[in-house]
Amino acid sequence: MAYAYLFKYIIIGDTGVGKSCLLLQFTDKRFQPVHDLTIGVEFGARMITIDGKQIKLQIWDTAGQESFRSITRSYYRGAAGALLVYDITRRDTFNHLTTWLEDARQHSNSNMVIMLIGNKSDLESRREVKKEEGEAFAREHGLIFMETSAKTASNVEEAFINTAKEIYEKIQEGVFDINNEANGIKIGPQHAATNATHAGNQGGQQAGGRLLLSPFLAASCPVEHALCPPPSSFVLS
Amino acid sequence: MMTSVPPRKPWWNSKKTVKVIRSYPTFPSLNAWEKFRGLLPVDGEPNPGVGLGVEEGLLCQMVHSPEFNLFPNSVVFESNFVQVRRSRHWKEIYKASNTLALGVTSSVPCLPLPNVLLMARVKWHHGQSQTWNRPSTAPSIILKRILPLKFVELQICDHHERILRLRTVTEKIYFLKLHPDHPETVFLFWIRLVQILQKGLSITTKDPSILVTHCLVPKSLCNPCGKSGLARKKPKGPRPSESLMQLMAQGESEALSQIFADLHQQKQYSSRRSKEMQINTTSSEKTTPSEDSIPCTRDLSWRDAFTYGEWERENPSGPQPLSLLGTLAASSRPRLSLTGVFSFRGLYLDRSEEEIAPRSKPESPQH
Repeated sequence: MAYAYLFKYIIIGDTGVGKSCLLLQFTDKRFQPVHDLTIGVEFGARMITIDGKQIKLQIWDTAGQESFRSITRSYYRGAAGALLVYDITRRDTFNHLTTWLEDARQHSNSNMVIMLIGNKSDLESRREVKKEEGEAFAREHGLIFMETSAKTASNVEEAFINTAKEIYEKIQEGVFDINNEANGIKIGPQHAATNATHAGNQGGQQAGGRLLLSPFLAASCPVEHALCPPPSSFVLS
Repeated sequence: MMTSVPPRKPWWNSKKTVKVIRSYPTFPSLNAWEKFRGLLPVDGEPNPGVGLGVEEGLLCQMVHSPEFNLFPNSVVFESNFVQVRRSRHWKEIYKASNTLALGVTSSVPCLPLPNVLLMARVKWHHGQSQTWNRPSTAPSIILKRILPLKFVELQICDHHERILRLRTVTEKIYFLKLHPDHPETVFLFWIRLVQILQKGLSITTKDPSILVTHCLVPKSLCNPCGKSGLARKKPKGPRPSESLMQLMAQGESEALSQIFADLHQQKQYSSRRSKEMQINTTSSEKTTPSEDSIPCTRDLSWRDAFTYGEWERENPSGPQPLSLLGTLAASSRPRLSLTGVFSFRGLYLDRSEEEIAPRSKPESPQH
């Protein structure tokens, strides 16, 4: 399926916090109580719509176990967004956030959007980490914060989509250079087709309410353009 | 050039779980090979691996696509499999239109052995050939996982049925039957891969404590008697370890190419044989060995006459690709608590299937 942008996400956090379950809930809308320990990377993908544009989220679910940490570090590169997950019923997973954050900051691009997620919010009776603590940590480190439940699907959609919105806003603000793939953003065929039309529309024509001054500007134009035909096909959607 | 190879134990004395009758792939027949060649384009230099569907396949195309852009300079060896389960007879788990593309590649092309396993789910259109690389209508292919090969055990489970057993360190086990559209040769390559991953290659080592006095040196640094200048000279330059690594990789790259080289060897062997028939030579030095005595890749001097395979093409002295998984190189060895053996080869050695304790599951429920 055609898309305007592809955002690479990485899900990180201690083992057993529910990273794979969050992914499964988001991509397949189902919950699997027992999940195999993740090794290497497991992939998920889903299309979402932001501001009328189709955006493909390519999600890398990583291993949380300490033993795999050195490998997980290699996956940060080129991620536009990270979901940093802890388990609200396990204080230790919250205590380890700083280490995860240091890793993420060190091995990813500086503009990567990080969403802090306190998962298992359905297990209120076993809560060990207050919501306020999560909020405070996020505020202190400039993260977005949500509590989720992969089991009940509470806030799962929002967590993924709000992260994408933040990335999208950064693109619009020019923070992200979308032509630099190291930022974890790829221009999809939909957007490429848009650009091609833009290039042909130079000379003062207005497309989609935005005056395009050069092909270069068109290449980073995130606005929907009704004149642009969708691409005929994309092999690997 | 190295020609000596440490002797291997005969298979019947081995305690290892993989039971492979032949040490080296024996090709069904040269006639069969000619048949494969018939599938290849006539013009240019056809790549037999592509023709057999094991190179530049769907999996390779996907990971090299802009969407993933992974291991851009590494060759992917891949095939289509059908996931099966054990019962009285092997039973397919999914519909025939669903296959699993399994492949191996290297995070960095200069590594001597593949170190990454790729798995993708493929959904084919009705009636579509499920083997060839560039079908008219692209099937739906979804990359599911990337696993460091050191966390995976590959075994030949059923030679007759062409079934591989893939087990991860977390005890997830897949039985994968090579797709029937693949010729027998392809399964022989998988056998070969299993052997290489299991035993390594005699001329491949990453252990700096092992003194290597032959073979791991590019030809240009070898003196005529075959001894290495490397053993006597200190590496020059500001980054000696890097130079050494490059030198080693350059030599080792010959070794890691065995699977693909076999393809090319067969091609060359075939063409050489036909040439010999034409000129009717009787020279004993040039006598083509019988099929059973093909020296294969042990005799590297024999290999020199042949086209280099894809694995051999990388140039470690050139700029290295910024592989996204570069740190998966074999040097990293996690200290995993749930098993004591994490050297990939260690998974095999002297441990039967039953000896390995089941892995523990995460303690808390995952939401």
